[in-house]
Amino acid sequence: MEVVSLLLQGFSISILPANLLACVTGVLIGTLVGVLPGIDTISAIALLLPFSYGLESTPALIMFAGIYYGSKYGGSTTSILMNVPGEAASVVTCLDGYPMAQRGRAGAALTVSAIGSFVAGTIGIIGLTLLAPPLAQAALAFGPPEYFSIALVGLAVLSKLTGTSTLKSLLMATTGIMLGTVGMDSLSGISRFTFGVDELDRGFDLSILAMGIFGIGEIITVMTEPHTRMSVPTIRLRDLYPTKEEWRRSTAPMVRGGIIGFLVGLLPGPAATISSFVSYAAEKRCSKNPAEFGCGAIEGVAGPESANNAAISATMIPLLSLGLPFCGATAILLSGFMLHGIIPGPALITQQPELFWGLIASMYIGNVLLLVINLPLIGVFVQLLKTPFYILMPLVAVVTLTGAYSVNNSVFDLVWVIIFGVLGFLLRRAGFEPAPLVIGLVLGPELERGLAQGLIISNGDIWTLISRPISATILAVGAMIMLYNTARWFGKMQNNRKQGSC
Amino acid sequence: MRKKALVLLIGCSLVISIMLGGCTSMQNKTVATTPKYPDRPITVIVPFSAGSGLDLIARLLEKTAPQHLGQPLIVVNKPGGAGTLGFNELVGASPDGYTIGISSLEVILNPLYGSAKYNYPTALDPLAQVASSASVLAVQANQPWQDLAAIIEYGKSNPGKLKFGHQGIGSFSHIVGETFSQTTGCMLEQVPFRGGGETVAALLGGHVQIAFVSPAMIKEHLKNGTIRALAVSDSQRLSDPVFAQVPTLKEQGFDVVFNSWFGVVAPKEMPSEVKDKLVVGLKAIISDSEFKKSVENMGYQLDYLGAKESAAKWQADSKKLTKTVQETGILDLIKAQKQ
Repeated sequence: MEVVSLLLQGFSISILPANLLACVTGVLIGTLVGVLPGIDTISAIALLLPFSYGLESTPALIMFAGIYYGSKYGGSTTSILMNVPGEAASVVTCLDGYPMAQRGRAGAALTVSAIGSFVAGTIGIIGLTLLAPPLAQAALAFGPPEYFSIALVGLAVLSKLTGTSTLKSLLMATTGIMLGTVGMDSLSGISRFTFGVDELDRGFDLSILAMGIFGIGEIITVMTEPHTRMSVPTIRLRDLYPTKEEWRRSTAPMVRGGIIGFLVGLLPGPAATISSFVSYAAEKRCSKNPAEFGCGAIEGVAGPESANNAAISATMIPLLSLGLPFCGATAILLSGFMLHGIIPGPALITQQPELFWGLIASMYIGNVLLLVINLPLIGVFVQLLKTPFYILMPLVAVVTLTGAYSVNNSVFDLVWVIIFGVLGFLLRRAGFEPAPLVIGLVLGPELERGLAQGLIISNGDIWTLISRPISATILAVGAMIMLYNTARWFGKMQNNRKQGSC
Repeated sequence: MRKKALVLLIGCSLVISIMLGGCTSMQNKTVATTPKYPDRPITVIVPFSAGSGLDLIARLLEKTAPQHLGQPLIVVNKPGGAGTLGFNELVGASPDGYTIGISSLEVILNPLYGSAKYNYPTALDPLAQVASSASVLAVQANQPWQDLAAIIEYGKSNPGKLKFGHQGIGSFSHIVGETFSQTTGCMLEQVPFRGGGETVAALLGGHVQIAFVSPAMIKEHLKNGTIRALAVSDSQRLSDPVFAQVPTLKEQGFDVVFNSWFGVVAPKEMPSEVKDKLVVGLKAIISDSEFKKSVENMGYQLDYLGAKESAAKWQADSKKLTKTVQETGILDLIKAQKQ
């Protein structure tokens, strides 16, 4: 097949010393970016752009791509070990990863997440290699009404995937939507809920919210625990790696996560975060023991971690095939491209095959490198658990706050991170699981924008949501899921006296 | 254990307060004009997020700054409020020459819409204009309209059917689109999107029929034949060979001439020696042939204007745009929403 020969040509380019070195540097920096809570991909690439001027275009781009997909490998580390997500896309990993660590299975969780990331990353890149042009065209067919439908179905289905009380989850999701409306609305040009404060025009960044609620919130929770957290006394080799049982349980979620992540990654916005939520919901649905989710189900780690890696490859598709960035990180990748004089677009594949296939091949190599780097580090990371919390937590606080500042270079954001931290602590105390807040914050603006733009396009005709085929399909799927849930709930109502708890 | 919690609490609050203290931006430092200006790196505030066009211009300046200005430039992104936050920060910064910023048409537009704390044209001092960009009227290639006249005809006979995508209410592309719509009488409906990428995606997917975007966003698609450009809003045709066939709106008989520019600004009342050094240094950076090539790679036209000419352009643009936003009804649209 022609693709294979082109790919082999790409491999020959990507193993050139300069390119290989760039790949290694990129994935190392990416892993670091992922592990450290707060510091995000966009800031890292923005910081490194000046240093790349001296490099040739191919190694520079390989390095940036390496940072981009590398960051999704490391994000699970702090999520699992300390309940502090390294990235917004790793919020869901905290839900089951941390309980696993508390039971002494931290190493297993980290291994499964690394291997899942590798498997899904590879699935994603294969998808990118073979399906890039047709998928890009398919992505274009999604217009504002479709985004509205996806956001609506997403909100309805994803907001009740955590915790035991649907009401509390929906409250969290609604709060998230409300928080999402704060700021200058790009559609109407007016500032909403800013109370005259200029800095609020920007609205609440997803990373600020996630770092605040989950990061600082967790730190405050730890500070107020009256007893010391359990620290693993000795790490046996057996504890570092998953058992046969755990392997068996995580293989299917890895593959499922890969496919789900790849498909969801084509959506605009923070696709990796959304895909991790979708994967979690899917795993909960497919599991034989859904009550275990939230208490340390390994599927809840394998699925989402795989999904967010596959989503990265999918977000590269509109970038490379059409030159259109669908999220912030791909926008800065696009800048990196343009600074080196390359404008990605339909012609990139045909006119600069060495660059395109070299980049794809380097992504394969990068994934292998990441696995090789991350697996031995698991032992090191698990040792981190032995550090007393009164040393570890301030360090995490420093890193999180530095990262939060680096997002928008704003002290105002730091204040908000701390406020959200207190909020997160109070929410947890009151028995609310804050994960649906993230879904609300991400999908709420999409919902509104999709509706407003869709109605303008259809001249005010709301039935356009059903008359357009893709939108109608999505809404139908959503309706079926809701009906199914309601039916199951009716059936369970008799038996479900006692809520599941760990 | 309570003691441990207390230690942790004190430790954390110490850390947090140190971070907050260390991160405070420079406020009202005394202006000390050293003859050896510049003797430390210069901060460039970019009022838009990393990855945007303005951000790239700043980073390109950063590339050759050490040799022409003697010190490196540090790019700091302060996005928010369509540039308001970054401009506010710049107005409040100390005019010692170590904080400058990137300006764009929003410097003029934001005060007009009443969304700015200061009147930027009088509160900021332009140092140079770097580049300009026009707006291109683009349609999908598989649509039947081969030229502007055809689409105007269609728009007149089917009012309300044609939708044009732009990058936000009050933005440059919105202004160009509305002025076009009213001048030609074809009554287009506007659909706001978040940025050029989304607008082009909507155009390619057929969700809107027309898009007003910057040339950079559609260059590749034009080459590939998936998009057709019918007009450009500049006073003359674009120098890029890909756009050589695209006529201007002016030559087709419509007096719609707008271009969006990017420049470098500084807070007012900078000492004149410092300002002169900056102006000379910036001119050298901008005249560099590699810089020109990079700017054009990104789809902008290099359009250098010195400090005085920039200030004059600001005045001219301010007058023109005040009139335009009123006539097109954009000002009313925004004011009505604020009620």
